Amino acid sequence: MNPIAFFEPLRPYIGVILSGLPTTLILTFGGFGIGLLIGPLLAFLEVYGPTWVSRIATAIEETIRGIPLLVILFLVFFGLPSIGIQLSPIASAIIAIGIRSFAYQSQIIRSAILSIPRGQWEAALSLGMSPVEAFINVIAPQAFRIAIPGLVNQFTIDLKDTSLAYAIGVAELFTQSVHVAQVILDYMPPLVFVALIYFVLTYSASLGAGFLYKKLSIPGLGGGQQA
Amino acid sequence: MTNDIVLRVENLWKSYGKLQVLRGVSFTVRRGEVKVIIGPSGSGKSTLLRCINLLVRPDKGRIELEGHEVFPRPSMSISKIRERIGFVFQQFNLFMHLTALDNVRIGLIKVKKMSKEEATKKAIEALRMVGIDESLWNKYPAQLSGGQQQRVAIARAIAMEPSIILMDEPTSALDPELVGEVLKVIEKLAKQRKTMLIVTHELDFALEAADEIMVLDHGVIVEKGTPEEILRHPKHERTRKFIERIARRTQI
Repeated sequence: MNPIAFFEPLRPYIGVILSGLPTTLILTFGGFGIGLLIGPLLAFLEVYGPTWVSRIATAIEETIRGIPLLVILFLVFFGLPSIGIQLSPIASAIIAIGIRSFAYQSQIIRSAILSIPRGQWEAALSLGMSPVEAFINVIAPQAFRIAIPGLVNQFTIDLKDTSLAYAIGVAELFTQSVHVAQVILDYMPPLVFVALIYFVLTYSASLGAGFLYKKLSIPGLGGGQQA
Repeated sequence: MTNDIVLRVENLWKSYGKLQVLRGVSFTVRRGEVKVIIGPSGSGKSTLLRCINLLVRPDKGRIELEGHEVFPRPSMSISKIRERIGFVFQQFNLFMHLTALDNVRIGLIKVKKMSKEEATKKAIEALRMVGIDESLWNKYPAQLSGGQQQRVAIARAIAMEPSIILMDEPTSALDPELVGEVLKVIEKLAKQRKTMLIVTHELDFALEAADEIMVLDHGVIVEKGTPEEILRHPKHERTRKFIERIARRTQI
C-alpha cells in the first residue's frame, strides 16, 4: 500500500483535523493539571490525615476510579445543569478528565509516599524537623521521583482519553477526524492519521519523561542508573 | 567530668497492647558520660531509646533533658527537644535523595537555620571527624558502603551539636569487616567526652569505651555497673548467660 496514495483523499482536510490539536492539548494539560493540584493533596490526606479524613479521601478516590470517564463526562455536561451548573463542553471535558486524573494521581502519589521507608521519616524528625518540614524536605522529593513514571503514564492516558470529549461535541482531534471522515465518506485515512498523531504525542511525552527521569535520577532511588 | 545530669529517665513504662516492653526503667546520664545498654533482643532497648526522643510515646514515667521536662509535659516543642538529641539508627537512615554532604547539612540549614556557608563548614568538619574524605562528599548513600553510610549518619548527628547522642545498635546492620571503622569513630567521640547512650552487642567496644553498662531484660534494668563488673563478674545468671552467648558468637 502506498502511504501517499492512502492519505491522498485527506490532503485538503489535514488542516481541519490539526485544528483540533490545540483543543486536545488544552483538555490534556487542563485535566492533568487539575489532577496535579488535587491528587497530591488527596494523597497527603490519605497518608497523614486523621483516620476519618483519610477514610473520606480514600472513599472519594475509590468511587471516582470506579466510574467510567464517559459517565463522569456526561454527569458534568448533561447532569450538572439540572442542579443549576451549566458548563461549556470544553470546560466540562477539562473538569471530567481532571476528576478522573486526580483520583488516579492520588493513588500513584500515595503509593510513592508509602514506598519510602519509615526510617527516612524518623531520621528527619530526629534531626528536629517538624512533620511538615520532614514531608517537604525528605519525603516529597523522594516520592516525586518515584512517582514520575506513573504520573507520565497517567498523562498519556489523559491525553488519549480527551477523545471521549467527542461525545459532547468538543472539536478536538478525534472529533475533527470523524467530521472529515463523514465528508470524504471514508473512515480509514482520517482515523489512521489521527491515531498516528496520538501516538506521536504520547511517545514524545514518554521520551520527555525518560529524559526528566534521568535528569532527576539519584543512585539507589527509584530505578535511575545504579551506583 | 562535670556532674551535671544531661538525661534523667524515671520509672518509664511502655506497652504495645498486652506486651509490656518497658516496666519501670530509671537511670541518668551525666555530661561527658558514655553509657552502654546491653540485653537480649526483645528486652526493650530500642523502644527505650525511641521513647527518649519521643519517636515512641511512653505510657508513663518521666524524662528530663538538661533539667527540662521532655515527658509527660514537654517544656518546649517536640522538634526542639529532638534537635538536642542526636539519634543514630541501626539502618543508618541517610536521606536517599541527598549527597553525604547534604545529609549532614540539611539539619543545620533547615532546623538550625544556618547560612549555607556556615552549614557547609560545619558539615565538612563533622565529615572529617568521622573519616569521610572529600572524594565521598558528593556521593549518594547508595554509592557508599554500610560503614561509610553509618559514619555519615554519625556526622549528621554530631554536626547538630546535640546534648546527647543516642545510638541504636549502630553496627548491627554492618558486614563484619565494616564494624571496626564505625566503632573506631564512636570510640573517638567517647574520648572527646561526647555524652552518649549506646545500645550495642559489641562487648569489647563496651569494655573499652563505656563508663557504665546497664543490662536491660524484659523491660527492666536488671543490673548496672562498670564494664569490668558487668562483663567479668555479672551478678545475675541471665546476664552471665547472655554475655557468654554474645562472647561465643564473636569469638567464633
